[in-house]
Amino acid sequence: MIAAIGLALGIIAGLFLEPTVPTWLQPYLPIAVVAALDAVFGGLRALLDGIFDDKVFVVSFVANVLVAALIVYLGDQLGVGSQLSTGVVVVLGIRIFSNTAAIRRHVFSA
Amino acid sequence: MLLLTALVEDSLDQGYARAAARRDAGEPPSRSSRWVLAAGLLAVGLLLATAAVEARARSSSVAEARAALTAEIEDRESANAELERTLERQRAAVAREREESLQLTSEGARLSDALTTLEAAVGAAAVRGPGMAVRLTDAETDPTGADIDPRAGEAGEGRVTDRDMQTVVNEIWASGAEAVAINEQRLTALSAIRAAGEAILVDFRPLNPPYVVAAVGPPSMRTAFVEGFGGSYLQVLRDYGIQYAVQDSDDLVLPASAGVAVRYAVTPADVPSGASVPQPQKERTP
Repeated sequence: MIAAIGLALGIIAGLFLEPTVPTWLQPYLPIAVVAALDAVFGGLRALLDGIFDDKVFVVSFVANVLVAALIVYLGDQLGVGSQLSTGVVVVLGIRIFSNTAAIRRHVFSA
Repeated sequence: MLLLTALVEDSLDQGYARAAARRDAGEPPSRSSRWVLAAGLLAVGLLLATAAVEARARSSSVAEARAALTAEIEDRESANAELERTLERQRAAVAREREESLQLTSEGARLSDALTTLEAAVGAAAVRGPGMAVRLTDAETDPTGADIDPRAGEAGEGRVTDRDMQTVVNEIWASGAEAVAINEQRLTALSAIRAAGEAILVDFRPLNPPYVVAAVGPPSMRTAFVEGFGGSYLQVLRDYGIQYAVQDSDDLVLPASAGVAVRYAVTPADVPSGASVPQPQKERTP
């Protein structure tokens, strides 16, 4: 219950307060979103598997976002930013797909 | 392959399995974990919503800039058209005044006649008379296929190019035309037919297809054009799918050119004796 309120509060705050993202942070926003989605779908699958753990979820979310941003930052410094972002998106995309496939098997048992 | 298999099979964070194992071993869950989860989900929601707002703001700012540019282009175009109309009115007024004062003397009347002839010849005045109209239409469907890379060069084969237009106009002049206009744009001795991208420009103004080249000239003009190089050039164009039609007309009206102006040449009486006026690089005889 508290968790759901937290999620709703976060979305409402984001939509209505419209926090300004500093320009230096803007390139990392899309990749952070993909990383966050990976953590969210991983958590959802764990929930359906019956092995969900709050701390693991939060830590994996924060770590995912930070590492993804760090990789893109490093890539930018080395001049291979777009290639590394593509790599991150591909890896996280595959993970999201296989996690959603597992969720689908749980929900529709198909 | 091994990497991909590992990626697909280990898609779930191993931390979940370990935490579950710890719980099975009898370790009690920590009390604060509910609040941790709420804070984590708050961060997730905040991130997703911020990204959504950001993406929407970015796309709307692009659309706004495009709309503003379009509006500015339209504004300037209508302002240009208005200026052009004013110019035409002023020119007509000047011509009327000049005509009136010239008609006062017999010498003036003679000059006035010469002026009228010259104006018609250089394109400074609208003309009417018998002639012909050549109509060129781009090929309806590209015979080479629709989904060819436009940069490859083959895609534009069925399209009238600036070179085609130059050839046709030159042949029309050579056939004896006295005045030529493309899509109501009068050609003068200084007119340029060029291309920008895929559009044909006449005096830096883009033309819209179909292209109609109207020419005033003697009755022999049509035969000379169709049976000369111009006609055979049009035959070649037809092989590329470009449609053409040559029509006789008893009464064509061609407008005056909007841009009759000399930038370097001056009439001798106006040249000051000190000659601070830049000298023309090259003398041209009309």
